[in-house]
Amino acid sequence: MNSQGHISRRTVLRGLGTAMALPMLEAMLPRSVVTAAEVAAPAKRMAFVYVPNGVNMADWTPKDTGSTFELPEILRTFEAHRDDMLVLSGLTLDKARANGDGAGDHARALSSFLTCSQARKTHGADIKVGVSIDQVAAQHIGQTTKFSSLEIGCDAGAQAGNCDSGYSCAYSHNIAWRTESSPVAKEINPRSVFERLFGDPKAPAQDLAKAQQFRFRRSVLDLVLQDASQLHKKLGSTDRRKMDEYLNAVREVEHRIHRAEHATTVAGIENVEIPTGIPKDYQTHIRLMADMLVLAFQTDSTRVSTFVFAGEGSNRSYPFIGVPEGHHDLSHHGNDAGKKEKIKQINLFHARQLAYLIERMKGVREADGSTLLDNTMLVYGSGIGDGDAHNHDNLPVLLFGKGGGTLKPGRHLQFEKETPLANLYLSMLDKFGAPPVEKHGDSTGKLLEIDA
Amino acid sequence: MDRWLTFCMGMWLCATSMLALQAEDKPKKSAADVLDAASKVDLTLIKFDTDIIPLLEAHCYSCHGDKRKKGGISLTKYKTDHSVLEGRKLWERVAAMVRSGEMPPKDFGDQPTPEDRELLASWIEDAINRIDCSVQFDPGRVTIRRLNRFEYNNTIRDLVGVDFQPAADFPTDDIGYGFDNIGDVLSLPALLFEKYLAAAEKITEQAIAAKPLTGGFAGYNGSKLTGDGAANNEGESWMMTSNGTVSVKHTVTEPGNYIVRVRGYEHHAGNEFARVSLSLDDKELTQANVPGTSSKPSVVNHVVKLEPGDYKFGASFLNDFYKPDDPNPQNRDRNLVVLGLEIQGPILTTEQPPPTEIQKKLLFRQPKADLSDARDCATDILGRFTRRAFRRPVSREELDTYVALAESVWQEGESFELAMQIAMQSVLISPNFLFRMEQDQEPAPGQTVYALTEHELATRLSYFLWSSMPDDELTQLADQHALRNGTTLRDQVQRMLRDPKAQSFVESFTGQWLQTRSLKALAPDPKLFPEFDDELRDAMRRETELFFSALLTEDRSLLDIIDGKFTFVNERLAKHYGMPGVKGPEFQRVTLDGVQRAGVLTQATVLTVTSNPTRTSPVKRGKWVLDNILGTPPPPPPPNIPELESQGTLTGSLRERMVQHRENPSCASCHARMDPLGFGFENFDAIGGWRTKDGEFAVDPAGELPSGERFDTPQELRAILRQQQTQVARCVAEKMLTYAVGRGLEYYDKCAVDTIVNRMEQNQYRMSTLILSIVESEPFQKRRAKRGDQ
Repeated sequence: MNSQGHISRRTVLRGLGTAMALPMLEAMLPRSVVTAAEVAAPAKRMAFVYVPNGVNMADWTPKDTGSTFELPEILRTFEAHRDDMLVLSGLTLDKARANGDGAGDHARALSSFLTCSQARKTHGADIKVGVSIDQVAAQHIGQTTKFSSLEIGCDAGAQAGNCDSGYSCAYSHNIAWRTESSPVAKEINPRSVFERLFGDPKAPAQDLAKAQQFRFRRSVLDLVLQDASQLHKKLGSTDRRKMDEYLNAVREVEHRIHRAEHATTVAGIENVEIPTGIPKDYQTHIRLMADMLVLAFQTDSTRVSTFVFAGEGSNRSYPFIGVPEGHHDLSHHGNDAGKKEKIKQINLFHARQLAYLIERMKGVREADGSTLLDNTMLVYGSGIGDGDAHNHDNLPVLLFGKGGGTLKPGRHLQFEKETPLANLYLSMLDKFGAPPVEKHGDSTGKLLEIDA
Repeated sequence: MDRWLTFCMGMWLCATSMLALQAEDKPKKSAADVLDAASKVDLTLIKFDTDIIPLLEAHCYSCHGDKRKKGGISLTKYKTDHSVLEGRKLWERVAAMVRSGEMPPKDFGDQPTPEDRELLASWIEDAINRIDCSVQFDPGRVTIRRLNRFEYNNTIRDLVGVDFQPAADFPTDDIGYGFDNIGDVLSLPALLFEKYLAAAEKITEQAIAAKPLTGGFAGYNGSKLTGDGAANNEGESWMMTSNGTVSVKHTVTEPGNYIVRVRGYEHHAGNEFARVSLSLDDKELTQANVPGTSSKPSVVNHVVKLEPGDYKFGASFLNDFYKPDDPNPQNRDRNLVVLGLEIQGPILTTEQPPPTEIQKKLLFRQPKADLSDARDCATDILGRFTRRAFRRPVSREELDTYVALAESVWQEGESFELAMQIAMQSVLISPNFLFRMEQDQEPAPGQTVYALTEHELATRLSYFLWSSMPDDELTQLADQHALRNGTTLRDQVQRMLRDPKAQSFVESFTGQWLQTRSLKALAPDPKLFPEFDDELRDAMRRETELFFSALLTEDRSLLDIIDGKFTFVNERLAKHYGMPGVKGPEFQRVTLDGVQRAGVLTQATVLTVTSNPTRTSPVKRGKWVLDNILGTPPPPPPPNIPELESQGTLTGSLRERMVQHRENPSCASCHARMDPLGFGFENFDAIGGWRTKDGEFAVDPAGELPSGERFDTPQELRAILRQQQTQVARCVAEKMLTYAVGRGLEYYDKCAVDTIVNRMEQNQYRMSTLILSIVESEPFQKRRAKRGDQ
């Protein structure tokens, strides 16, 4: 289990080294970094939005490639944003395939989507998949923002039963993995996200007491860190892994508290609707969460986010758009035209919610006059191609935004068969300004075609 | 034979022989019929050296042998059955690869025949799961378990006395092996820790009324201070080698009382402590000794009333002492080190709010007004609190760290109550509280396992049956090492099951085993099932919980889950079931004579959670019975199921369409087991209502199991299931043991499960026997020593 851990620690160290060297070595740095340092170009952001059970590829993939292509029905939802969109066809998530492990395509699809690694088939003991790309980027961002990453979604996850064919529910519910064995939980209540970002708007003004409270909090945390370090020495290896998680969580929260002393406020940001809880209506729920994501990016509370519309294998029904059947149930359409039509309706619904998020990002102006979307790289997709075939090649993947001028959107790119999805992430990591890593999951290189 | 058919059958053999820990002397009737050829092979007659090694030589060694070790794997070093057992992790994988057809690779010339493939895989699976129950077997090692949301709420209720579901907005606990209390799966992401911290603050603030801490903190150190006289700036602090002063200009905007505070320590010399003077605009406010040391600095507070304005605050060293020729080098030079000057305020209230009822119990000692005995009080109060929170005795050193934290709070002029709040906050986020720690012990010489301490045993017991911490009685028994004496455990289990807290076991175990918890997220199509609403949803859950609860409190037979002729309904649910004569929202016990329902399989909970939003799913229902009642889960569907288009469009009733589906050989063998079980319950619609027609088609609940047993009605199907009593007992015992110890079962748990099932067979399958046998089992009582923990 340790090889991956070493890699991530090295990455962090390299990241620190770069930052410290900055004043002396400006001339030697890549141009983008120098520019950032001099004129304070807006920060780059990275987001991943996931939809389960694949999509109707016939209504998704454009016939032509290049920049003049006709948008198929589902993508027509993004008509207004086609100049900010790259349609990436032919990408493959080989690690979501069985590779000898039998059934469990749903659990593997989500857990490998950002890790590009093979999930170890287990109900619980020895959970292992890989570090996800958002967390690689988050480790690079590290201490710069209040939250190194923000994980949100609209599904609480299973309350009982088994999730997918011998895979623990941890796999089918977690897209972000801090280490190969530690998933990062997501927040599903928009109110809680708001409070984490900006504090409880209902609480009386505590400004006076705040600093003192932070100091005591620190003593409180110091004490338990001591406890945990002592325990750590006494425990066996699997128990120690749990204590590692604990220690990491405490340190991360210490850091957040430190950042909170210089707390972000929502003052000056217009049209902020303060959520009250989880709305019953799914569309409202998704959109409120999208608002929170935009707010978090806008206030530079974080620069990396994952957003899971629904857990992989979700059997949610969509009666409000005329689809009372369960999504997963329908996705095994057996080529039944009626079922495929309904799947398409679900795909369209999700696409409309994404379009809302894109619009919001376009509406935010940054210090230099660009929009938030201009500085963002947002991946939208699923780890399954067609829900009936359960295939993991030719995945539906869109990349929105200009990545701070590093991307050339407005095109449909068709990649060779079996091109790893990980190659896209490797390129994105570069553009994000993270120290280069040689490999992510099963990557074989970079997707230079997306470059500006 | 079709490759997929072989695959499916093979997987099935695998499932029955290894996973379910089945008693091998009682082969399931159903297995024999489907897999005639393979099941007749008596694996004990197969010899590794004469039967298996030749197969490995022919198909494996050329890539995985001494010469080439593809993937780093060589199989040649395994020369005996026993060596295969020792390398079981690797061989488990070998069996899976051989079975799935992945190995040997397709382009490899010497492919084994389907029979050889089956033989090889079955033999390996059998070999790696053999275990001798007559010697000390492995009790396993449970990974330390974080409290899940449910346990956290309950534990806070019992520990602090506040019952406000602080875990409501914690992230969902992930599930493994069907349960959400599995140590390996319960991770602790930063998001959750953030919530633990916030919850700890909320809980202690609600439990203990304290005057709010003083706000308006301003701290000055290092270069923010100005030095006069012999004051030298050394980084963050100031060293005064001789009399001198540090000061700072500070603006006060609000009128009121302010705390002026200096932190520092002395280098001791001579016969008095260093003395400091606090001043305001160069006028002395107070003087005090500074006995503190660098590791434990002193704090001097003084309260002063101030109007808005600019002030100069200072701290001076008054009594320098220098005797360079003193024979004792420790007695030559007295210095003062100032760590910082702080101004805090205004103090909003000086009134201590009246104590809450909870507070009177938690803070059972009150210090004197001058706090001279505060340390003693804190030691008593926090001693009891930590012992209960950590569910074990707490050492003096350990306790002292919490007392010291509290002391640092009241030393700053804050109240004792606030100090208790803060110390308790750190207890509530300590790993000793959040995790159920089980400390490693040295096993006796020659042993590899040891018995849990009595406190650990008490903790396992209380979380098993109460989902909460041990109460005083359990703790006292553990303190006296009396928990394992005579019939104590048996008596305690009985006492615990009678306690209302056992409702948590019912809720949590049935919530997950019978999936009442899943009801919450289900949304049957409102057009097809307009009668489904939250009230009905809630009634379904209550019925299942009350039913299971009755099995426990009346010590009934576990087999009532198959055909118990009673249940609990209120008016709403009775109407849904078409039972006349039940009025009102209260649940009442009813007998089910002359009704089509019995046991849990016809309760609306199970029928609804195994359905799709618009229709029933016989496959899901059948699979559910195999998974949760018979303990013979079907293998997962093969990967890359061919698309169904080759079959043409499926038509007719659901049953007819399923029959067409089963014509696909890759699906047939497993569906032959699932579908008849599911179709047996087709008289119950997707929310558990009775029906005789499904749309335009008449419901036909008849069926035939792979064993050849036929049934025409749900009752007949239940009667067939009822005959599988050992199997049912084993299935539930495995699930409950998993729940009780918080880990997935391993091959070596077969011995423990055998014992539990035997005891049940001898005691009419009584629930009390099931629970007591689990509590007395090796996996529950013992732990494998650390040495073996790789």
